[in-house]
This record gives sequence, C-alpha cells and structure tokens, in this order.
Amino acid sequence: MSDKMQTVELREAIRQAIDEEMERDDKVYLMGEEVAEYNGAYKVSKGLLDKWGPGRIIDTPIAENGFTGLSVGAAMTGLRPIVEFMSFNFSFVAFDQLVSNACKMYYMSGNRFSVPIVFRGPNGAAAQVSCQHSHCVEALYGNLPGFIIMAPSNPYDAKGLLKTAIRSNNPVIYLENELDYGMKMEIPTEEYLVPIGKAKVLNEGKHLTLISHSRMVHHCQEVVQHYARKGIEIELIDLRTIKPLDMGTICESVRKTHFAVLVEEGHIFAGISAEIGFQIQEQCFDFLDAPLNRVCQLETPLPYNKVLERESQPNPERIMAAIDETLHRRS
Amino acid sequence: MAKKTIHHVKHNFFESSADAAAKALGKEGLKGILKEMLLIRHFELRAESAYQQGKVGGFFHAYMGQEAIQTAAVSAMGRDHNWWITTYRCHALAMLNGATPNEMMAELYGKVTGNAMGRGGSMHFYADRMLGGFGIVGGHLPIATGAAFSLKYQKQDGVAVCFLGDGAFVQGAIHESLNLASLWDLPCIYVIENNQWGMGTAVNRALCVQPIAEHFAPAYGMKSYTLDGMDFLSCYGGFHHIYEEVRKTGRPVLVEAVTERFRGHSISDPALYRSKEELEEAKSRDPLHLFADELKKRKVINDKEFEAMDKEQKEIVIASMKFAEESSDPDVTTLEEDVFAP
Repeated sequence: MSDKMQTVELREAIRQAIDEEMERDDKVYLMGEEVAEYNGAYKVSKGLLDKWGPGRIIDTPIAENGFTGLSVGAAMTGLRPIVEFMSFNFSFVAFDQLVSNACKMYYMSGNRFSVPIVFRGPNGAAAQVSCQHSHCVEALYGNLPGFIIMAPSNPYDAKGLLKTAIRSNNPVIYLENELDYGMKMEIPTEEYLVPIGKAKVLNEGKHLTLISHSRMVHHCQEVVQHYARKGIEIELIDLRTIKPLDMGTICESVRKTHFAVLVEEGHIFAGISAEIGFQIQEQCFDFLDAPLNRVCQLETPLPYNKVLERESQPNPERIMAAIDETLHRRS
Repeated sequence: MAKKTIHHVKHNFFESSADAAAKALGKEGLKGILKEMLLIRHFELRAESAYQQGKVGGFFHAYMGQEAIQTAAVSAMGRDHNWWITTYRCHALAMLNGATPNEMMAELYGKVTGNAMGRGGSMHFYADRMLGGFGIVGGHLPIATGAAFSLKYQKQDGVAVCFLGDGAFVQGAIHESLNLASLWDLPCIYVIENNQWGMGTAVNRALCVQPIAEHFAPAYGMKSYTLDGMDFLSCYGGFHHIYEEVRKTGRPVLVEAVTERFRGHSISDPALYRSKEELEEAKSRDPLHLFADELKKRKVINDKEFEAMDKEQKEIVIASMKFAEESSDPDVTTLEEDVFAP
C-alpha cells in the first residue's frame, strides 16, 4: 500500500483535484472570494496562487452574482471555470445566474452553447453559524433539470468526483462541508476518477438500507456500528452523486433488505429524501415490509443555540430512533 | 399619463463625420446596410402578423425603431471575432449575426428547423458569436462580462458587445458587471439602448439621473459615449471610434444610444401610456427612413431601386413564413434530449 498511497485531509484532496486538472487543461481556472492571496477561506486553495499565478487563481470582490454570471459567460465562450462559493448560502445572491443561465443554456440554445463549469464550496451547517449560513442547497438546485449535483463524504470521493466534474461539459454543483475539511484518509497517489451517478455501498447488510450523503454519512456509519454490535446488519449507501441519482444501487439494496431509512441534513419538505423515497415507492413497492422513514432537518430556520442546532439536524439518536421505529413496523 | 423626458434631457452626442462613415462603407456597403435594416423591419412586421394569426406564441418584443443601433454596431465592429449579447428583444441582433430569416421565423413558429430547435422562441435567438437572447432583465450583463473575460484570458482578438435597455440599468447585476469589467480591464462595450420605457414605466420614473452613460460611467472609471440611436451614420461613426479605442485600451466603455421603440414593450402591450402625438413625433425620425433618405441624398440609391430592394426583403420574409409553416414540430420523443451536453 505504502508507496502508492498518501494520507490527506479532504481540503487537500480537493486542492489536488483542482491542481491536477489545471495542469491538464489551461482553460481551467479557479475564481472566488479569498481564493488567491488569502489562500482560501478554508485553505482549500492554499499554495495555488503561488503555483499558477493571479491569471488563473482569481480573487473576486464580494459580488457573487457578478463573478458567477461572468464565469457562466466564460464557460459559454471556451473556458472551464471552477467557481468557489465561500459558502453555498452565498450562491443565493447569484441564483439567477445558476437558475436562468447555467442549467438551461445548452438545451435552450438548441445545443449551441454548453456550460462546462463547477460551482463548489461548503454546504449545510457548520458550527453555530445560525440560519443564514447553514442552508443545504441540494434540494433547491436538484429541482432544476440541467445540473449535476455531487456531495462527497470523504477525501477519496472528493478528489475523484471533482476531477470528473471539472472534465464534464455541464454545470456541476459540487457540495463540500466545512466540518469535513480536516477529515483524513489514505488515497492513491496516482490519478483516479470517480464516475458521475454512481453511489457506493459503504457497508453491506441485510436487515435495513440506510441512505445518506455528505456529512450525514458519518453519523450513519456510527449508527451502523451500533447496530452491528446488536447483530443487526445495516446496508449503508453513500449517494456521492445526488443528480443523476443512482436508483439502481438503491433499489438493489431495498429489494434485499425490505426496509429503508433516509438521512439528509437538509429540510424535510420536498427534500432529497422525499424524492428518493418516492422513487423507491415507484420501483420497489412490493419489496417493502414497512413504510419508509426519513431523518431530515426540522422545519425551522437553523437556530444558533448549540443544543437546538444539534436537535434540529439529523444526529445518531434521531437516526437510531427512526431505524428502530421502521424495524418495529414490520408488516 | 407619464411624460417621457427625452426632450428634457441634455445629451452630449458624440460627434462623428457622416461623410467619413459613408466613405468607409462605400456605395455597396451602404446599400447592404439598408438591405439589412429593411429585412429586420419586414421580419418584425411579418412576425407580428403571424403572431396575430396565432402562429407564434409566448412573449414577443419587436425591435422596430431601434434598427440603426445594432446594425451600426455589427457593421462598424465586425461580427466574427467579437461576442454579441442582448436582451429578449433579440431578433435583429441574431439576423445581423448571420441567423437566417428561415431559421428565425421557424423558431417563432416553434419548429424543429428553428434557430434554437423550437426550444427558445422569440426571446432566445443565437448565432455562432451571439450568446443570446436573454430573458431576465439585466441577467445577461455578467454573461457578457464573462465573454470579455474569456477573450482576455485566451488572448483572443475582439471585444464583447452587450446591449441592454434603460429599464435594465437599475438592476444590481449591472453594478457588479461594470465594477468587475473596469476593475479587471475587460474589453466589454455596454450599449444602453435608451428607448425611454421599461415596459410601461418611463425612464425618469425608474432612474434617478439622466443622461445615463454620462452620469454613471465616471463612477466606474469608465469612458462614456452618447449616440443618436436613430441616425445610422452617427451610430456607425460612434461605434467605429469606440471599437478602435477599446481594442487599444482593453478597457470597458459605457454607451447610451438614445432611441424610441415604435411598438409597445411587447406585442400584448398597446402602449396606452404613450400619447399618439409622442409616437408620431418619434416615428418622424424613423431610422430606416432617415437612412434611406440619406442614401438617396448621397445618390447611392434612387426611389426605384429602394422600392425594388424593399420588395425583395419583404419577399424573403414571406418565404420564411412559408418555410416555417411547412416545417415540422419537434418530435415529442426528443423532448427530454439534450438537457445535458455530451
């Protein structure tokens, strides 16, 4: 293993993906607030300015609508931008550019202008930053045809997926998480890619399927261990790509376990879990032995208070309660 | 009734020589321009009638009255090494960028042979160097700024030319775009076509100061130019000068072309907010007639030639209606194709 593996933090995995793709294609640039001279608000882009210079690692003013639209225009005219949102909450200021232009352009223009662009940055809650800085955007953008949406939960997937995203000829929403940037993992030193639209079974099991993505996968892993000690084998699926959704992997698992619980950091109403749950119902109805269950963020703007913040998000206790409930409702 | 303020605003129009512009274009060039303007006008007139017959759906915004501006910009700056971006009032710019009347009319009819395969309609026309046809007021300014960024990044020759209305100028996206373009020295020419109305709201009810470009450009450290948007030769001279300057400086420029639209905001707008007298007065300076008269005065064309040319353009457009009529709707089985690029 040793000489072909390296231990990196998740931020470093992302940085390597950007760096390697910039090496591979001089049309790739990184643009965003504090990405260059400040070395990144979360140090993802550390050292890239020194290596690539200000022509390709580009600091912007605090003008998301401006630099997002600018990069969509650049993508339409031959470049392959990576746009960093310091937080995906700030993408709302650029919503029109994402919604009206980026995801519609190829289709609307009769296939004339594609938009090869990656929008990346931290998504969801961090540590007590209250509701304007804690939103999960995947359900919002997931509602729009034209976006590819990725949400890796670990450094290996983070690097492989981002490299694939940068090479895609379509707009990609690539979701990171502030609390995960320091997560360490051994990943190959050699180049690799992770394909779009392929979920990963992190733990095989036969009693219940647990489906999640991004940071919530870590809670799920903890829960899986807990049940394993009790002899209950839970199959854990990490979506990795939210759109297109890998229903093949999900259905295969649900047909085997007959029970499913969905865990999502975002709000419950019209969330990713609502969509996956509906599709399971469409495709696996006869295989289910209990109603589906989901653990999502409660229907409130995320509060500042630490206790309330924890309780409004999915946590191991809430996930376990949902699993217990589901298994007890066996028909 | 809201009074428009065009006559109360003092514009410092850029002065250029009509003779020099006419000489630069030459006799054939001038005739070609007139032909283009006639084709644009006839296209709008016929498309309107097709709309009234129920052949065309959706929103429809005619360019009639403003033809001199984009015709002059494209002819003065050249088409193929620049990027062109405009609003939903996009028929003329597409035509000037090489879209054919057939494909454009077919797009209005929603046909598979249309400019955007029947997916965009009146507001979303494209060409190889024209990025749209954008439907959200002001939302295309960052896109145009990005096209200029792209030219600079790739060390390509040319500029990005972005048309917007007076109504768009109050949007936040404009502020961000002008700031970025000036901050980063991007070769973008922003052309405000001030047709006096943002839908039914007179410009003086939407904007705190006028003239627009002369007031706002200095705040962004940019140069401004004001052009008489009804006078082709004046626009041509202005755009020629501006283009040469931007190619030299690489800096963005803010242009205001003062004009009038001869129709309501869209086809469903009877423009009751504008008096008949005001409209008649505007039409007395119809850019097409002014230019045709100018060419007659310069002996480039005579009445008979003009009539023949007019008839010829009209027939091209009538033929495009036939083409559109006979084209097929897109196959329903293709409905969900091409959401993603290969």
